[in-house]
Amino acid sequence: MNKDHAALAADFNKDEARVDWHDETLWFVRAKRDRAAAQVPDWEVLRETASRIKDNVLSNLSEYLRRFEAEATRNGIVVHWAADAAEHNEIVLSILRNHQVDRMVKSKSMLTEECQLNEFLHANGVEVVDTDLGERVVQLAEEPPSHIVLPCIHWKKEEIGELFHQHLGTPKGNADPQFLTHAARLHLREKFLTRRAALTGVNFAVAETGEFVVCTNEGNADMGAHLADVHIACMGIEKLVPERRHLGVFLRLLTRSATGQPITTYSSHFRKPRPGQEMHIVLVDNGRSTHLGRKDFRNSLKCIRCAACFNTCPVYRRSGGHSYHTAVAGPIGSILSPNLDLKKYSDLPFASTLCGSCSNVCPVKIDIHEQLYKWRQVIVQEGNAPAGKTAAMKTMSWVLSNPGVYHKAGRMGRWFMLNVPFTVKNRFNAWFHQRELPDAPKQSFGDWYKKNRKHG
Amino acid sequence: MRRSRVLGIGIRKIENMGSRDSILGRVKANQPEQRELPEDHAGPEGVSGDLTPRFISVVEAIGGAVFLVSGFDRIVTILREQFPEVRKVVSGCSQLGSFAAATTLAAGLGDPHGLADVDLAILPAHFGVAENGACWLTEGRMVERVLPLITQNLVLVVRRDAIVATMHQAYARIAEIEAGGSYGFAAFIAGPSKTADIEQSLVLGAHGPKSLTVFLLDEHLSDAGFF
Repeated sequence: MNKDHAALAADFNKDEARVDWHDETLWFVRAKRDRAAAQVPDWEVLRETASRIKDNVLSNLSEYLRRFEAEATRNGIVVHWAADAAEHNEIVLSILRNHQVDRMVKSKSMLTEECQLNEFLHANGVEVVDTDLGERVVQLAEEPPSHIVLPCIHWKKEEIGELFHQHLGTPKGNADPQFLTHAARLHLREKFLTRRAALTGVNFAVAETGEFVVCTNEGNADMGAHLADVHIACMGIEKLVPERRHLGVFLRLLTRSATGQPITTYSSHFRKPRPGQEMHIVLVDNGRSTHLGRKDFRNSLKCIRCAACFNTCPVYRRSGGHSYHTAVAGPIGSILSPNLDLKKYSDLPFASTLCGSCSNVCPVKIDIHEQLYKWRQVIVQEGNAPAGKTAAMKTMSWVLSNPGVYHKAGRMGRWFMLNVPFTVKNRFNAWFHQRELPDAPKQSFGDWYKKNRKHG
Repeated sequence: MRRSRVLGIGIRKIENMGSRDSILGRVKANQPEQRELPEDHAGPEGVSGDLTPRFISVVEAIGGAVFLVSGFDRIVTILREQFPEVRKVVSGCSQLGSFAAATTLAAGLGDPHGLADVDLAILPAHFGVAENGACWLTEGRMVERVLPLITQNLVLVVRRDAIVATMHQAYARIAEIEAGGSYGFAAFIAGPSKTADIEQSLVLGAHGPKSLTVFLLDEHLSDAGFF
């Protein structure tokens, strides 16, 4: 069986200094987000407005999808529909085959991570080069990204220096970010100039105009798309906004929430292919339409993938993105993934302290921590809780609902802790991991009350 | 953690538009009851006065440089000072013909790959946004879509009276500009290309321009203080 979040987090926590560094790096990004948000006087109005626009989108999604398809088609874009990851991957491959293309550049798209497109194309003889610097780093290392905005946040510059030395031929021992970024610029420029196909993600798509917006700081989506004969843009069906003017609300929120910048360097609006170019959009469902029907959980489809909830989460910061074993990690990934596979991701809603910080920073006001709590109930009711936890909870419930048993158990527990503490304070007791157990009192509150009331 | 190389995804023939109707049907069946759009939000109240200082400070904060100038003569002078080394220049501003020898390129360009060695591109933006330092360009002002990205250095020329306060006003302006014809591609450009993917260290010049210079054009300005 694959390791669950707790086991993977335990692996990550073996190197305490590294965990501290990871924690502090992400908190630094969270602090930048706070400063950026504080400079916007109407921040809370913006969040509320964004959330309500997304309510409207979800309640009219089929109509907006039809409108978007009609407008995009009118603009000369070819629109495809994919029910699941497999169909999405097949569509991309068939477009590439039609153009006899076996090499492609790709900018960041969490959807293609979700669909495992790279692996699929690789198996079918197509080379994919990820062009976002962070994504290129994890691709060279044959790892998935650990964060949706900062893909290699778990890598140290010295390690990237060594990776680039091996793959790009940079001098051994050089770990200067400026130098390494420049090396990647030269390496990837050659790819941009020689690849005939480019795939990008989509941040927002506009039903009214049939256009889509892609946001990057590096300019990699644009470099790929504008130099390629074929541009394929892949998007989940929930990415729509009704009208172009609504982009104003979302673009004000997105990057401030993500990195604390006022806006990304490039917010590119693609509406028509360039003369001589082919432009495709793949609209992907992959469980989203089912999720839409779950009243308690559909709000998570409002997500604009800023990752503010990652950066603020005390569990994410100390367990690392890979411990979530899913394309979208963090609190939002923990409420989206169970929809895709309840059994496989049944550990994720428990990877939280339910502190609620995620909901507080969410720019579209998703009730993330409440959904984490609700998923736990669904998981336990459907019998997906770990056997140990189920047994413990059943025992607990039996003890707590029988006063006689409760008092007897309390007396026994106190006796064990006072007389043979090693039977409780050992590595077989999951509660003893990373916790100090308190000294047991000599008597229970019940005993104390009985005694003192008699004397009084 | 290694990526799984084993994939349970088999090759399947794509039926023409097979999934469209089933997806739309499921979405229709599962979408919640109608929720109205909220009232339009136009940004913070009480923003008035000169937006220039805010715009300049934000562009500088995101790694760009700004010059307030009275005319294209001044722009030429400053460009000569700032970019003495550049060889290949492409300009989308007809007023800069004397500076940019390669202006004629704009007309007869076929393949965007031919721009790979451009050192400097000078393009007129429609307007700027004070809250985030972004400038709006439609493709008609880019010469080629890739030019503002592929050039080593980018210069944007914006009229000083064309700065709007927030993105809400920006999209209102875009709607006005659109009345004259719709774009196929357009972008907000805010600062030089950048990345902080290596340990959150900010590096300017990721894949696009290493520098961005914005000229704010104001003909009413006296040059006296600038020489």
